[in-house]
Amino acid sequence: MSEKTSVLVIGGGIAGMQASLDLGGRGFQVYLLEETPSIGGRMAQLDKTFPTMDCSICILAPKMIECFRHPNIKLLTYSELKEVSGSAGNFKVKILQKARCVDESKCTGCGVCAEHCPTEVPNEFDMGLGMRKAIYMPMPQAVPRCMTVDKDNCLKCRLCTKVCKAGAINLDQQPEEVELNVGAIVVATGFNQYNPSEIKEYGYGRHKNVLTALEFERWVCASGPVGGHLIRPSDGRIPKRIVFIQCVGSRSLKFGSPFCSSVCCMYATKEALIIREHDPHVEVFIFYNELRAFGKGFQEFVNRARDEWGVKYIRSRPGEIVEDPTTTSLTIWYDDTATREIKSLSDVDLVVLCSALVPRVGNKKLAGIMGVELDEFGFFKVRHPLLTPVDTNVAGIFACGYCQAPKDIPDSVAQASAAAARAAETIALTRGVEGA
Amino acid sequence: MSEPKIVGFLCNWCGYAGADLAGTSRLSYPTNIRIIRVMCSGRVEPAFILEALERGADGVLVAGCHPGDCHYRFGNQYAEKRVEKLTKILDLLGVGSDRLRLEWISAAEGEKFASVIKDFTEKLRMAGPTPLKIQNKAQPARPTKNESIHAILKRTKALYCQECGKCSSSCPITRIYPVASPRLAVEKALMGLEQSVLVDKGLWSCLTCYLCRQRCPVDIEYDEFIRTCRAKATAQGVTGDCAHEGTLLAISRIMANPKVKQNRLGWVPKKAKIAKKGEILYFVGCLPYFDVVFDDIGVKNIEIAQGMIKILNEAEISPVLLENEKCCGHDLSFAGDLETLRELAKMNMAAIKKSGVSKVVTTCPECYRTLKLDYPELVRGPHPEVLHASEFLAELIKEEKIKFPGKFDKKVSYQDPCRLGRHMGVYEPPREVMTSIPGLELVEMKRNRENALCCGVSAWMSCGRHSKQIQIERLTEAKKTAADLLITACPKCQIHLNCAMSEKLPVKSEQIEIETCDLSLLVARAMNLMPTPT
Repeated sequence: MSEKTSVLVIGGGIAGMQASLDLGGRGFQVYLLEETPSIGGRMAQLDKTFPTMDCSICILAPKMIECFRHPNIKLLTYSELKEVSGSAGNFKVKILQKARCVDESKCTGCGVCAEHCPTEVPNEFDMGLGMRKAIYMPMPQAVPRCMTVDKDNCLKCRLCTKVCKAGAINLDQQPEEVELNVGAIVVATGFNQYNPSEIKEYGYGRHKNVLTALEFERWVCASGPVGGHLIRPSDGRIPKRIVFIQCVGSRSLKFGSPFCSSVCCMYATKEALIIREHDPHVEVFIFYNELRAFGKGFQEFVNRARDEWGVKYIRSRPGEIVEDPTTTSLTIWYDDTATREIKSLSDVDLVVLCSALVPRVGNKKLAGIMGVELDEFGFFKVRHPLLTPVDTNVAGIFACGYCQAPKDIPDSVAQASAAAARAAETIALTRGVEGA
Repeated sequence: MSEPKIVGFLCNWCGYAGADLAGTSRLSYPTNIRIIRVMCSGRVEPAFILEALERGADGVLVAGCHPGDCHYRFGNQYAEKRVEKLTKILDLLGVGSDRLRLEWISAAEGEKFASVIKDFTEKLRMAGPTPLKIQNKAQPARPTKNESIHAILKRTKALYCQECGKCSSSCPITRIYPVASPRLAVEKALMGLEQSVLVDKGLWSCLTCYLCRQRCPVDIEYDEFIRTCRAKATAQGVTGDCAHEGTLLAISRIMANPKVKQNRLGWVPKKAKIAKKGEILYFVGCLPYFDVVFDDIGVKNIEIAQGMIKILNEAEISPVLLENEKCCGHDLSFAGDLETLRELAKMNMAAIKKSGVSKVVTTCPECYRTLKLDYPELVRGPHPEVLHASEFLAELIKEEKIKFPGKFDKKVSYQDPCRLGRHMGVYEPPREVMTSIPGLELVEMKRNRENALCCGVSAWMSCGRHSKQIQIERLTEAKKTAADLLITACPKCQIHLNCAMSEKLPVKSEQIEIETCDLSLLVARAMNLMPTPT
């Protein structure tokens, strides 16, 4: 297969995977670049998905495996984009493959090495709530199923090398630079979660029982840091009252982002249902501003949460969260905008801040490498939001998913297919009339 | 020469009866007096006297019963204390204490009344007309900006309001007094109910403490919204209930009179080195006045200025002090008088320019905010760099220009003043200053920095039940830290908190009583420049 008929997809989340599968299915060679040791992205971190309440990893894992097995897709995990030159139909791309120190072809992912590793550090995949070893697999369903050595934290004690029966570990491995020739590039780098510690009145980072929504996803996930038991982070007690606060840092002109993150209303409802499924005795409150249930089946989902599952919706943005230092329980002060009364909700065991989902910090650097423009917020800018919704200002480079505007999973998937189609078009044109 | 005018506040039982006797006895006395009968001389607020002077009286007479004869037991004693304070104030203002007289005149002393009036008129004739008399100018001052409510909403970004209620659930006042709510005020204005906003009592309860703005996701400028709405309301003749009946605002207003030549540098320590021209100006603010007004609640405000001068001298700085420094205008502006703020700004900036300084240091965060934020809007530049004492002291400590001789073993907590903290974002310099004092331990209150609770009063408006409740809350919080001292970086926080402690409140005194001290004074004490009370 000619190199000109290959595509680089940046970002191994659901959008990147979908674009890769679409392109691979058409017979193009795809290089799927992922920064972390495993593909999967944000969706892999979620416990369930709205509005169908599917187990997230259950519907994602088959796609991950498909990417891994696909004859036309080559995974470049634990890698970074370094340089791009050339133009549509003929990009020259330099990629740095960080030293994983484990041979992918030999490692069986048995995990014996991790059992022996003496160093423990917070697991990024669990939003730092759980621990992992210096040699690790970020999650049980990781693809490729291969351990990775975190060189920053590795003590080089070489215990892992001794216990590895496959002889896959080589701590002296050096990073490698790979040069590729691709016809088009699809960017699907996703989002970061805004760190709400800047919003002092909510005490995130100070109060142990205040979590962000992504942290909470890991917290209640069966493969998460506490095995999916619904407990309070401060003392492990079973919570009786859980509160969600919407628009933390989103729709804000001061902190976070001015735009609506577009998924929080729905995932908060989903997480509320997860809680009620775990333990029907837990009272769940959602403090919202405007319930943006705009998609197919969304309003019905919210109605069901309210009417059948007893989730309490209050229209207000609380002013302050106060912690009782002895019990670590929280009190929430809010203005009930329906009755115009200032109220306080006490004995709250857990507060989940639905923190803004913002463009990735790394976007600027990445855009610089590719010569692509970002918009005022740091999202990848598209040429025309209505008529060319996935084209960037550089011909042959396309952007899809949350990295170019807030959206949910189905929209990201649809857009990924669109980007794949546009990328295919680019390559088809440059290679003449051969057909896919 | 025009005849002097005297306003006489005469008590119903003695002074007024005495005047009556003088009349029925057909005694002759000058016709310069205009009599206002009050039930007791104790009813005469200092603000009444100042207002009489402001409105053109050349002298004010307060007459009551002889000591021991008061028909309400102690009314005349209160009057004596007040007049004594006000005499000092008039001296400071350069208006002259001889324009105010307190006399004990019984119902039987018609002759004494006549002779007092004769004598007072004579003296006032010698002194000449009051410098305060304002020609062709209405009082109180009207705002010049006749901004529409929609324009105010636009300028203060209130059009972005999402009506989420974060402001109102943060507001320390709304929690106690739900009628006064930042959200409701903005919401009403958005609905076009302008009058409803302007006549609302809640408008005057706001502390403009910035907590709502700090937390507002769309950064609505509530402080500015409230200030402009107050100016609009004042223009319509609606005002709030001023604390001390507006005495302190009247003092500021009097300072804005260009004819007034104050006599305000009497507090400067004898050995202190000060200059008329130089690099650094110390803007003292209203401390000499506060020192007189609040001497009975245990705050010696002037020590802050004295300490500051000594610290500066120790760092080999001879600061410039303005002989006729005027009030910065902060309180007047937040009470809705934007016009006088403008006048004061012009005069202060002219004096500062004349002194040729490049830096202005203030010990009061309100002066700091006003000079740094408001003056550049009102007066054309160039403007000097404005620093709060905490910033300047932190600099001096870093440069090792001031040193602490020994250990200062105290446990302190710190009250973030809203003007310094949330308004201007100065949180760390005061803490840096405190922690650089050897031996000193700083324990934070539960609510600190951005989340700090206000001291309960602002701009001498609406001191009442809500203020006291907030003060009790704050002092209890301070007490819980088990600190020996509560440090403030604002003379007014100190006044308001001490005021609460000196009153009869529905809490046990040991629950709220804590010694307070200003940050600059603390530094002066730690440097052994000012005595530490035992």
